[in-house]
Amino acid sequence: MFNLIIENKEIIKLFYGIVIGLICLIIVLKTDRLFRISLHQGIRYFRNAFLFFGIGFIIRYLLGALFSYEFFSYSYYPIFNILFEFFLIMAGFFLIYSLLWKKFEELHEPYRSSLLNIKIVVLYIMTFVLVFLDYIWKTYSLMFFSQIVLFVFASLISIINYIKNGEKYRFLKFYFLAMLLTLSAWTLNALALLYFNWNQNIIISSYILNVIIFLLFLYGVVKITKK
Amino acid sequence: MTKKRERLEVIKDILESVKGTRSIKPTRLLYASNLSPQMFKEYINELIKKEFIKIDIDKKEKKTFSLTKKGYEFLQEYRVIEMFVENFGL
Repeated sequence: MFNLIIENKEIIKLFYGIVIGLICLIIVLKTDRLFRISLHQGIRYFRNAFLFFGIGFIIRYLLGALFSYEFFSYSYYPIFNILFEFFLIMAGFFLIYSLLWKKFEELHEPYRSSLLNIKIVVLYIMTFVLVFLDYIWKTYSLMFFSQIVLFVFASLISIINYIKNGEKYRFLKFYFLAMLLTLSAWTLNALALLYFNWNQNIIISSYILNVIIFLLFLYGVVKITKK
Repeated sequence: MTKKRERLEVIKDILESVKGTRSIKPTRLLYASNLSPQMFKEYINELIKKEFIKIDIDKKEKKTFSLTKKGYEFLQEYRVIEMFVENFGL
């Protein structure tokens, strides 16, 4: 099966980008009404995370696929990679911030931009530094390691949430599972880079994990919002 | 120590108080909301701006608050919002 996938790599990448982009779009749209009614900052950062994941995956896999068919000159290719890294790292930051925002923001703080406030600007700066260094050193390692560290924390937070409220709120266990799978996907990518020379089987496994992770989130969002 | 109420919970409590009485005077609502006058004013302004409540003025020019259709909708959706926030650990 892996051979079949490798042979049709470009088509599969395109399909992969469309599937994840669509899942993110559905999550953002499905949570729109809840956010507009509640103006809840946590929902807001959660939506930002999936908006950024969606944009990142579409840029990388949809637009990236167009290079294969020579729609664009290859001199533009690094720009897409830089943008992909930027949106993916920021999405990870937004996701973890959605779990932690109460520790950094006052509950009664006036409503303000979630894309451009002083705390989020710090995350943008960190992301710019990581992306810039990865670009200079022509690697993805800083992105991989920053995400591994981030999702170790996210896994810890989500298991604490699960232990505290898991019986009452059933999706918390799937959230924890999603964080563990995300951590595994980033670890596989890092291993592929460091020790296995971008082994295609490892990369495909991480693609499959990513689809499962996004489907898990979609399941949770659809299940809760349809009530 | 009592847990600090979240913004969402405060809004729900204010709207429940308004709903319970159909129309309520500002002072009674302030007591019912259990907020400081400053915070109360901020929340009321926000709820009016979001069209969750409206101000009614009678012939004696006395103000009361009543719930709008959007306010009812919020109360109906509150459970879904709460479920979402808690299930995703937000």
